[in-house]
Amino acid sequence: MENQEFVLEIPYGTRDFLPTEAATKRAIETGFAELFAQWGYDEIVTPTIEFLDTLTIGSGSALEPHMFKFFDKNNRTLALRHEMTTPIARVVASRLRDEVLPIKLSYISSVFRYEQAQTGRQCEFYQAGVELIGSASVAADAEVIALAIEGLRRAGLKDFQICLGQVAFINGIMHQVHLTDEQQEKIKTAMEKRNFVDLDNIIDHIDLPKNTRDILKKIPLLHGREEMLEKAYAMAMSEQSRRALDNLCEIYRLLKVYGAADYVSFDLGVIRDFNYYTGMVFEAYSPVLGFPLCGGGRYDSMLSDFGSFCPATGFALGIERILLALEREGLPTPSIKKDVYVAYAEGKAADAITKISEVRAQGKIAELALTAKTLAEAEKYQQSKDYGELVYIK
Amino acid sequence: MDIQDTGYLTIALPKGKLFGISSELFAKIGYTADGLYEKSRKLVITNDEKKIRFIITKTADVPTYVEYGAADIGIIGKDVLMESGKDVYELLDLGFGRCHLMMAVPQSQKRAKLTSYAHTRVATKFPHIAERFFNSKGMQMEYIKLNGSIELGPIVGLSESIVDIVETGTTLRENNLEEIAYIMDATARLIANRVSFKMKFERIRQMTEDLRTILESGEDK
Repeated sequence: MENQEFVLEIPYGTRDFLPTEAATKRAIETGFAELFAQWGYDEIVTPTIEFLDTLTIGSGSALEPHMFKFFDKNNRTLALRHEMTTPIARVVASRLRDEVLPIKLSYISSVFRYEQAQTGRQCEFYQAGVELIGSASVAADAEVIALAIEGLRRAGLKDFQICLGQVAFINGIMHQVHLTDEQQEKIKTAMEKRNFVDLDNIIDHIDLPKNTRDILKKIPLLHGREEMLEKAYAMAMSEQSRRALDNLCEIYRLLKVYGAADYVSFDLGVIRDFNYYTGMVFEAYSPVLGFPLCGGGRYDSMLSDFGSFCPATGFALGIERILLALEREGLPTPSIKKDVYVAYAEGKAADAITKISEVRAQGKIAELALTAKTLAEAEKYQQSKDYGELVYIK
Repeated sequence: MDIQDTGYLTIALPKGKLFGISSELFAKIGYTADGLYEKSRKLVITNDEKKIRFIITKTADVPTYVEYGAADIGIIGKDVLMESGKDVYELLDLGFGRCHLMMAVPQSQKRAKLTSYAHTRVATKFPHIAERFFNSKGMQMEYIKLNGSIELGPIVGLSESIVDIVETGTTLRENNLEEIAYIMDATARLIANRVSFKMKFERIRQMTEDLRTILESGEDK
């Protein structure tokens, strides 16, 4: 503790992006913004602060303990947004309710969760994502998955994989075997956590035919490429489950056309929080990171929580996690390119401003000296700031 | 060599009582490496032919290595896993390392019922599990985290009770302690990183099945 240098702390779970980090982040975000626009998604910006009641409508309440909360002047509870889907659903269900469907929206925003900070996720973290609202079609689901894949590809990731699942497959099976809500809840929790030990125990304690037990136990292991779906059909006892598999097949067929099918494998276990999603769900993984890069899916009941029934599908990419995966893949981070430093001798400030205006008009990044300098001083500064060229006006 | 090299499966084994039986179990399904023994000075032991890497870590660190994906697979006691609260997949109950967590008090100072201990001090290596247990009984306690020799707590007046794991009960008896509340059973578990489980699914699934077969045939005994 020899170094007693005075450093001001920042709150737990926050971080600074210093210039090179900020530049890398900006480059990725700009790429996403361009890509989303090309695919016909319009950007939306919503407030960082919402009423807690808005954010916890429907199934959002599970995250309530992880929200940053405070009070407004009238003592109403406010919260920092913990994701972007709920605020966007609020806007669509209220201010955009008369728009022609589908509504295609994109965002690049920070969101806040009061949680243990982990790899690539502080309490404040950045997400880029889209919501495609007002279409229940397979094409809509295929489009958002293809867009997520294209986003990760353009960001420069070489190696990643999408796991695609379907909520209705499990729901159909559970329904068919007449499990109580409580039993379903327990089984889904164990499946989501891939706690096979608990799962086996829970299932063994329910009075079910052996065949049904085996099927329930195998669900989290239904993981693989296209041929795995064939196996799953053999287990799909109900119409609902079969339709869920049909849905995945159709999405996959379209993903092949998009040229994105190589990234996709299927996982019919519970991938994400299934109280929220109603159809296909997916996550993206990189072998160099122990946490998912991206998550998304279909959430047809969310809008009805806001009083306007409307099917919807979308995803969110974790920007810091993508940055981390890129770094671990050994991709060089783009350095800030600086072109020209314009310095001048005593009395030549006006000429220097004229000169730098010309240089900037050519699209170059240029800095102007703020006081008169000798040539030696100017050269020294040019080197320390890594400018490619020095223009000295004398 | 890069620990992140994705062609390899990295397995974290805990030092201590689970090490020997874990490494023997893996050896039975062909997962072994030259120089894999507990006192190994090498921290990473590799089998290049089978593309396997073992790392030997402190017991309490296994869930951390696995959660972060520094190890794909690990073996760890359920007690340590619960206490860590780490988000990992639990693939298989290996059945060995059986013990249970319980609350014990000095025999001479035993109180009428469990709730008589509310607001007293409890010494434990497992403050999170203990807190969850006492909360479920509507009791608030003062938790004193110790890293070993928990039984010493009540003897020297550091605490009124302890929460600890028990295998045979010998240590309790030798120290005149008596179990007054059962908390949970614990056995060794096979755990996996959530991304590894997906990216290396076939390998991990096969390995789990092979281990299950060995355990069910009773060959591990």
